[in-house]
Amino acid sequence: MPNTMGDRTKHRILMVSDFFYPNFGGVENHIYYLSQCLLKLGHKVVVMTHSYGNRFGVRYMTGGLKVYYVPWKPFLMQNTLPTIYGTLPIIRTILIREKISLVHGHQAFSTLCHEALMHARTMGYKVVFTDHSLYGFADVGSIHMNKVLQFTLAGVSQAICVSHTSKENTVLRSGLPPEKVFVIPNAVDTAMFKPAPERLSSNEIVIVVISRLVYRKGADLLVEVIPEVCSLYPNVRFIVGGDGPKRVRLEEMREKHSLQDRVEMLGAVPHAKVQSVLISGHIFLNSSLTEAFCIAILEAASCGLLTVSTRVGGVPEVLPDDMIVLAEPDPIDMVQAIKKAITILPQIDPQAMHLRMKNLYSWHDVAKRTEIVYDRALKCSNQNLLERLSRYLTCGAWAGKLFCLVMIIDFLLWHLLQLWQPAVDIEEVPDIILPHCQHGEMSWDCNEDQSLR
Amino acid sequence: MAESSMANARYTYVHHVNKGPLQAMDMHHIVVRKSGVKGFIVYLSVLLLTTNGFFLFLLKDKTITVLFWSLLLSAFLVKLFLRKPVQKVSVIIFPGFGVQLETQYGSGRTIRHFVPIGKILKPVLNECVTPVTCYWSLSLIIRGDEELMLVFKELHPPVKMLVPIWKALCAATDSLESADSIT
Repeated sequence: MPNTMGDRTKHRILMVSDFFYPNFGGVENHIYYLSQCLLKLGHKVVVMTHSYGNRFGVRYMTGGLKVYYVPWKPFLMQNTLPTIYGTLPIIRTILIREKISLVHGHQAFSTLCHEALMHARTMGYKVVFTDHSLYGFADVGSIHMNKVLQFTLAGVSQAICVSHTSKENTVLRSGLPPEKVFVIPNAVDTAMFKPAPERLSSNEIVIVVISRLVYRKGADLLVEVIPEVCSLYPNVRFIVGGDGPKRVRLEEMREKHSLQDRVEMLGAVPHAKVQSVLISGHIFLNSSLTEAFCIAILEAASCGLLTVSTRVGGVPEVLPDDMIVLAEPDPIDMVQAIKKAITILPQIDPQAMHLRMKNLYSWHDVAKRTEIVYDRALKCSNQNLLERLSRYLTCGAWAGKLFCLVMIIDFLLWHLLQLWQPAVDIEEVPDIILPHCQHGEMSWDCNEDQSLR
Repeated sequence: MAESSMANARYTYVHHVNKGPLQAMDMHHIVVRKSGVKGFIVYLSVLLLTTNGFFLFLLKDKTITVLFWSLLLSAFLVKLFLRKPVQKVSVIIFPGFGVQLETQYGSGRTIRHFVPIGKILKPVLNECVTPVTCYWSLSLIIRGDEELMLVFKELHPPVKMLVPIWKALCAATDSLESADSIT
């Protein structure tokens, strides 16, 4: 049971996703920074993910963040093989040994997330789900994904989306009541993304593109936009960071228009070097065709770059109007937006922009808002199996019955596990606290668990 | 000779301190306890399988392969659940000399492994994660070795049994600062 710290409830949270460090991306960053800020607020946070290469077992990260790299190998696109019940024993063990009060799953793509939320609901834990992406409705993949999401969200206590567009999308896809879905945007580590100490020369305008070079990120748009802008402005230069299947098309475009000296292809950029690439430019160009939030825009704005972006998904919600120029995902409109950005560039003060970003987007604020969602989730009434089964039955004529069967089997397996290995046989782990006087040094806090004395 | 012990459903921990004429000997034993319920369930399953095999073969005129497979499955069940290769693991600490790890098998065979005190850099308590469970393990960091040496290779005793052994190893190897952090 969560205890209280002052007038606030102290939660013990298990973050679950297939996407976590050493991988880099929006979801990975979100989980890491949110966990760090929740730890600072006095909550206990544990992360569960699958193994990455030889990284498996228990690892500790900054601030005493404990990570379980469960030795399940990734199967497809960094996802573990969907076994439905295979993860039940390990999830049950972690929930008991870490004295977890709430499970927070991230990303609808994540198999591990769906399975963890399902098992946690079976065991009577409160669950929260965060959706980080937008999905379609028509193609086969989306139909299947939406059905899985409907099943998972039928049992969640509360859900979080990163933008209002994302919330609308999630509510439509899952049939979840809108009052159960909260909008908490992403934030940016402004300490990591600082502008260049000296203002860049305006003799040459540098436009930076950093993204995976795939169809979804609008790499095909770049192929048409870059030559057009280069012909209009002889003093414009492009820096393209990132890799992917569409890189070949960009290389071909560079050869065709003889832009080798004006379009620099960096290839894959490590996350630690993103800031150094960003501060070498004046304008950041985002050509995504679909985006729930787009953290890259925040990082660029924090570095003092003016952003030009496609008006898709949650992008219009990300930055104030004077920090971004929006365009339709069309080459002609994007060229016009870049023209507009170049004209307003002299009015942009990178340092002032950075300070505004510091006030607008903080992970501490995200954590405080997430804390409210956790409080709401814990206040939700406890439902028994029969009450929950009625929710699953509404998921469709055939799907509803199938979901009920899946949950009944899960319930039976959980009881079988309780007989095989009773909860009392699973040892609770002592909490590790980091003394403020000795940073990085860990000591045991045995106030709650005296078994180690 | 001082003695203390503790037990759970699967293991018994016994601690002896030998005050010998030449040198004190600190002995820690982890003894595997037999599970009667588990044995009963396995033997019942084997009995049912074998009876069913004979019934199908003799009365229903089924082929001998049915009987063969039921016997094979029975043997597999017995081997899987009732094989108790390790009966006892002992950690014997000779202060100033080293640590002897003794593994006693059901067959009566005993394997001994001596680690000189100078080779032990630090004893550590680790959390181990498998695809289905988590458990604590006691390991030794050995000078010149890339991998940790597991004290209990085949057993997973609870942490309350591992802590006194870990503390004793810390005291023997002068790693007292790590032992102090847990008390």
